[in-house]
Amino acid sequence: MDFSSEFRVPRSALSRREMLHSSGTGLGVLGLAGLLADSGELVALPASNNPLAPKKPHFAPKAKHIIHLFMNGGPSQVDTFDPKPELAKQHGKKVDLKSGRKPGPLYKSPFKFSKFGQAGIEVSELFPQIGSCIDDICVIRSMHTNIPNHEPGLLLMTCGNTQAIRPSMGSWLTYGLGTENQNLPGFVVLCPGKPVVGPALWNNSFLPGVYQGCHIQNLDPKRVIDHIRNSNVTPDTQREQLDLLNQLNTIHNEKRGGDDQLDARIQSLEIAYRMQTEAQEAFDVTREPMKVRDTYGKGYFADACLAARRLVERGVRMVQVFYGSGQPWDDHSNVEKGHRTKAKDSDKAVAALLRDLKAKGLLEETLVLWGGEFGRTPTSEGANGRDHNSAGFCVWLAGGGVKGGMTYGSTDEFGFAAVDKKVHIHDLHATILHLMGIDHEKLTYRYSGRDFRLTDVHGTVVKDILK
Amino acid sequence: MRLGFAGFTMLRIALAVLLITPSFVSAADPAPDAKAVEFFETKIRPVLVENCYKCHSEDAEKQKKLKGGLKLDSKASLLKGGDTGVAMVPGKPDAGKLLKTLKYDGEVQMPPKGKLPDSVIADFEKWIADGAIDPRGETGIKLAAGIDIAKGKQFWSFQPPKEPSVPQIRKSKSEIRNQIDSFIHAKWDEKGLTPAALADKRTLIRRAYFGLTGLPPAPEDVDAFLADNSPQAFEKVIDRLLASQHYGEKWARHWLDVARYAEDQAHTFGVKPKTQAWRYRDWVIAAFNSDMPYDRFVKLQIAGDMLPDAPDDPFTKFAGLGFLGLGAEYYRDAGCGLRADADELDDRVDTLTRGFLGLTVACARCHDHKFDPIPTRDYYSLAGIYAGTKLSDVPLAPPAEVKAYTDAQNNLKKTEAALKKAQADAKAKPDDKTLPKKVKELTAEVAKLKKEMPPPLPVVHVVSGNGSGMKILIRGNPTAKGDDAPKGFLQVLPSPTKSGSEFTRLDLANAIASKDNPLTARVIVNRVWAWHFGRGLVNTPSNFGALGDKPSHPELLDWLAVNFAKNGWSMKWLHKQIMMTTVYQLESRPDATNDKIDAANISLWRGTRKRLQVEDWRDTLLAVSGNLDKTPGGPTFDLRDANAKRRTVYAKVSRHELNGLLRLFDFPDANVTADKRTETTVPQQQLFALNSEFMVLQAKAFSARLEKLGKTDSERITSAYRLAFGRQPEKREIELAERFLKLPLKPDDKLTRWQQYAQVLLASNELMYVD
Repeated sequence: MDFSSEFRVPRSALSRREMLHSSGTGLGVLGLAGLLADSGELVALPASNNPLAPKKPHFAPKAKHIIHLFMNGGPSQVDTFDPKPELAKQHGKKVDLKSGRKPGPLYKSPFKFSKFGQAGIEVSELFPQIGSCIDDICVIRSMHTNIPNHEPGLLLMTCGNTQAIRPSMGSWLTYGLGTENQNLPGFVVLCPGKPVVGPALWNNSFLPGVYQGCHIQNLDPKRVIDHIRNSNVTPDTQREQLDLLNQLNTIHNEKRGGDDQLDARIQSLEIAYRMQTEAQEAFDVTREPMKVRDTYGKGYFADACLAARRLVERGVRMVQVFYGSGQPWDDHSNVEKGHRTKAKDSDKAVAALLRDLKAKGLLEETLVLWGGEFGRTPTSEGANGRDHNSAGFCVWLAGGGVKGGMTYGSTDEFGFAAVDKKVHIHDLHATILHLMGIDHEKLTYRYSGRDFRLTDVHGTVVKDILK
Repeated sequence: MRLGFAGFTMLRIALAVLLITPSFVSAADPAPDAKAVEFFETKIRPVLVENCYKCHSEDAEKQKKLKGGLKLDSKASLLKGGDTGVAMVPGKPDAGKLLKTLKYDGEVQMPPKGKLPDSVIADFEKWIADGAIDPRGETGIKLAAGIDIAKGKQFWSFQPPKEPSVPQIRKSKSEIRNQIDSFIHAKWDEKGLTPAALADKRTLIRRAYFGLTGLPPAPEDVDAFLADNSPQAFEKVIDRLLASQHYGEKWARHWLDVARYAEDQAHTFGVKPKTQAWRYRDWVIAAFNSDMPYDRFVKLQIAGDMLPDAPDDPFTKFAGLGFLGLGAEYYRDAGCGLRADADELDDRVDTLTRGFLGLTVACARCHDHKFDPIPTRDYYSLAGIYAGTKLSDVPLAPPAEVKAYTDAQNNLKKTEAALKKAQADAKAKPDDKTLPKKVKELTAEVAKLKKEMPPPLPVVHVVSGNGSGMKILIRGNPTAKGDDAPKGFLQVLPSPTKSGSEFTRLDLANAIASKDNPLTARVIVNRVWAWHFGRGLVNTPSNFGALGDKPSHPELLDWLAVNFAKNGWSMKWLHKQIMMTTVYQLESRPDATNDKIDAANISLWRGTRKRLQVEDWRDTLLAVSGNLDKTPGGPTFDLRDANAKRRTVYAKVSRHELNGLLRLFDFPDANVTADKRTETTVPQQQLFALNSEFMVLQAKAFSARLEKLGKTDSERITSAYRLAFGRQPEKREIELAERFLKLPLKPDDKLTRWQQYAQVLLASNELMYVD
């Protein structure tokens, strides 16, 4: 691969050592980007002035975008997508599940399951609409994670580590792939307020700050991105200001014999000017026809799902939609009532998103991930709640090169622990990166003398679910 | 997961810090045997530990949990097999039961919780076929000894720096002002480079002001410098700047990047806030301003509380300990305590060794360092110095005051407890008529005590006590203890004190802050060089190991290190040596001929144009608009307040949620030590310049300031250029400005044309980049 053309980096600009690194060692483009960025020299070089420019993946990708519908708090698998008749039979029985928590007796699901789609996959009555899309969905019933607590669980799901010391998946993806629309952030996080842990969930950590997720709390187009709107002068006046600024910056640059970093900022100012209108337009769900809006329903989550579609449609790499602030799916008591309320609020919007993406031909290139940070115990907590469970849970994937109408793996007879074809979060990450055209072992960043990656030293691509 | 998630979790931790071998390091490719060992270490051992040891190890035997008489935790016992016979025959995958069992092929299926992935089973097959290389000792917990320390000492950075002979430059292309110039010039000659011309005086004074104080020169300062034709003119400027309080504010911030200074933690549950973290920041500022010798600076940050010649003043003595006292505290609920302990020790070892020594010792947490002569034992020797130490608060008040405060606090707690009990009693025994009275009295008492409570004591947050020492944690697993790692220093570096149970933080401080340490002086002079030139002589300032960059000017680096120590480890001496050179004073224009040879300017044939760090940019906007509040020190302010006018170094730095402005402009993540800042140019930054309330406030203030500085537009434009850029405007710049100012105002605009113009100047490249 010709690195110099890829980055338009003049060979002479590389130090001898970097030349050594870049020549004939099989180091991928991404690795070189990391190397240069880490050595601090990326910035001084022409094309590298835009660290978010689209980059070539390792191999042809199935998916170009990801929408992660994060059911933070941890929905219960046995009440949603993992029916367990044995659990109903042995309801009330004391069992020792070694959950690391204090389980009560087995507690059957208060929800009925029925078969959906041609595949005949069982889904609980909570999600009739999602159920109707099941032929596009792959349910992984054998997920497991490390620790049955929110902070480490959320961090592992978003950043691949239980402590807040690593970049998030969205940061890795935008670092590796850049983004297609330079007028919008490459990695958008939609959450009203903050989920537990907060900003570390979309943190860039040691990656450059541009790869940080852009957290949007309020979908009001005028407030979506910091400083997106000028409340002091009209757009025409701002154009006049910018024209003057351009002229002064050009004189300044000419006097210095031309400098790429000065050029880059001049261009960046122009992009910022355009971004003001384009970003506001992109987030403005009121521009959608009423009949489309109706399919999604009302409320923040519904609007966020619709905004997510508008964003991937415009080339945003990853959109993470948190169901809500705090840990809404965390139903320690009255799982029936709690889950019913949240499912009612989200079933329609999620299904509408899938159908909408499909109708627009976007589902093929957009991977949708639905799930929480862990699952819940099949035993009760208190009278009618369920506790955290890291031993087994389910997530589902749709679109983006994943087979529809299938389930993968399974939990034990009660739905407590994943037993067959277990999928750890690292495996899920490896699979997602694979679908995006990235070899998870090769997307690395040199930092403090070591090469880091999202999956650390773990992760196996779950090949059986790929188209 | 039925085997219990604790062990499983621990192993993941162990692996989480495993160094991933970079694919491009061909020079360091291990020999075939080493490769086989690595295969075992990365593919086989972790699987055995994770899935098998619980029932098949010495530990399992001790706990009476051994199954099938089979132990898999040593080479010998694996070869011996178990009750049902031979487990494995090296070179013959088909013989023995191990592989069959893993394949779930037969009656015995292991591990019981579920079949391992096919790729893992394939690894076992390959391993056995290749001869089952197994570096483990006989007892299962011995580690392979692999590092030759004596050989490791030959590496350049472990050799003591020697004062090199200064190159003789026969035909100089520019003035040789001191020894630094000779070394630099020799490299130009070697590469066939011609140095750029000297920068003009206006450029030079701006470079010096921003470089030493992070603030622009006032127009009068520029005028005075231009008018001073004496040979000492620039030296006088340097001396004045080094004596300014702003010097410490600027240079402390450089160090705070290394110290990963912040006032909180990334996670939220159960963290005790460090409300007076800012005292460490103020201590660093004071240290720079008083030109505290660097060796002293190091010692006070590691062992200020233990120094035999510790300063009397408690602030100077203790506040530097915030270097580690403000370090990371990790999530420790739900059985994560052991892991959190290990991770917190790792934060200390990492910050300490990368920060002071430029060594990535943390790579040796799970295995011997793969590239540098640092055995795992050394990692735990260092970590052991801190194992069991406490994060605590030291009050900066006389003992009597401290006693009064603690007594008052204890008294309050006691009374509150009594009140709580009385309330409960009153509820339980409604018939007892004395209780309501008691509740009333106690309520009044609590209120009184609260009212009379003395103000909170000034404290500094420190690491205190001495560590208990550690055993090696095998593969970093906090539950798998191996051999003793006596407290001590890295074997590859000299230490005046022998390792052992008596080794303290003070011994560590003395070993680091020693002129015999080949790294300490080199690392700091290189950092200072990098902060001046934008690039270090070693371009990986926190990695002087085998994977770090080789020095571009090794003799110069040694000359600086040796003479820095000779000159009392004085930072101000070092600045002056660097800034008085010709190489510091070159202009930053490109040159087609030189660019062909060295476009990256590694040989420093021209000056480096630098974007202002975000702190300096914000401070400059405030200074130019006349808004800057120069009050030094004290509690932090919040940058979200657009009206805040203090220098940015005094703003809150958060690990949990870094301020948006800081993050936008590449401020480093304070969860880990940072050796340099990445630099990105993205539109969101420009949105701040175009639209933020802060910018608009400065534009208004600047415009108001200019109104008083001239009667005509032309006069005011001239003042604007002098204030913002330290120069006169050109004719075309005045014309452009006048044309803009004459444009009719639109009815909906809330800013006058002058305010709009002021904003344009503040948002310009000339204000953001220093030549």
